[in-house]
Amino acid sequence: MKFQDYYETLGVPRGATQDEIKHAYRKLARKFHPDVSKDADAEARFKEVGEAYAVLKDPEKRAAYDQMGSQWKTGQDFQPPPGWDAGFEFSGADFGAAPGADHSDFFEALFGRRASARHEAHAHARGQDHHAKVLIDLADAYHGARRAISLRMPQLDAQGHLTLQERTLDVNIPKGVRAGQHLRLAGQGGPGHGSAAAGDLYLEIDFNPDSLFRVDGRDIYLDLPLAPWEAALGAVVTAPTPAGEVQVTVPPGSSGGRKLRLKGRGIPGAQAGDLYVVLSISLPPADNEADRDAYRAMAKAFDFNPRAPHEGVNP
Amino acid sequence: MKQGKVTLVQGSVVEEQLQLSLLELCQACCIGEDHVKVWVLEGVLQPVGETPEHWRFGGESLRRARLALSLSRDLELNPPGVALALDLLDEIAELRARLQRIGGA
Repeated sequence: MKFQDYYETLGVPRGATQDEIKHAYRKLARKFHPDVSKDADAEARFKEVGEAYAVLKDPEKRAAYDQMGSQWKTGQDFQPPPGWDAGFEFSGADFGAAPGADHSDFFEALFGRRASARHEAHAHARGQDHHAKVLIDLADAYHGARRAISLRMPQLDAQGHLTLQERTLDVNIPKGVRAGQHLRLAGQGGPGHGSAAAGDLYLEIDFNPDSLFRVDGRDIYLDLPLAPWEAALGAVVTAPTPAGEVQVTVPPGSSGGRKLRLKGRGIPGAQAGDLYVVLSISLPPADNEADRDAYRAMAKAFDFNPRAPHEGVNP
Repeated sequence: MKQGKVTLVQGSVVEEQLQLSLLELCQACCIGEDHVKVWVLEGVLQPVGETPEHWRFGGESLRRARLALSLSRDLELNPPGVALALDLLDEIAELRARLQRIGGA
């Protein structure tokens, strides 16, 4: 087990006042909150900060933590000395191991068991609703899919210890589902107590990133590269969609950035989305003499000044 | 709930097939009715229906309520602060979506 230096995590000295701890926590929590920050490691940092604050904001736990001494550094191998918490009564009702809370081994060893023992259930309470995220491919939203989903759920065993139970659910992903939507699976949440019903499980849908398609609600965007002559003269070209290839008619005189709408080719549903093809113009390379000659011929053939709009700006 | 057991389950899409009552929303988020009522008052949640007994919440409310809960708990924000944060997050999401539409993400 690795020691956690909670003062270092919050960036405060060991003698910090409760107010200083609170302010340091709030500042870091705002910075790393996973719903606000887009940093890749925001969630991990946020958990560390939350765990440090859970201990240091509570005068009893802070005192117990402090008496282990200041010689420890984060990451050092650590075992709590026997009787380290003698004489401390942890009474904070808002404390610690909420079901699903994901604390470090260090935290669990010091404060965890005690907290979970207090996790009492009402005699006939309905089971808790649970939440999970599930990533699907964009194509799954077009066709529907069957997905095996592994869930880890905290459960109390007969001795009152918090353990993680793994279970697999085979879930039908309905056609037309979109990112951000929720799938409710009735009765698949936490078990009820006594004769009460189990809770529900809510799955929040998100799409795996796609190298070709961008998703905006029900609409899909695709970049379609064209040769200059295809854009200038018009063409019928093949474009991929999540539901298979389609033929797209590019009107003559199309410029880069122009959007062509393929109605109803977005995510299907009662109100199907649209697929937007965004045209981009790719220049053929000119890395041999023949190609360069072709460009030179073009330069001669056209009376074309792409910078006409700049003329007269600096007289 | 045995380990490794596989069951095929059918779900309903909250956004399309379901509307949550006040009680269902509270259960889904593990919060009390008072929280939800304050958030409705602050405009964080916008249910259909005139009185709490008749309120119906869509899937967007479920997402917003869970976000509001985690912001108020983790950042110790009060309801007006939560409402402001959610409005700003919506605005950022809208700008990001616009950026993505033009391929600049």
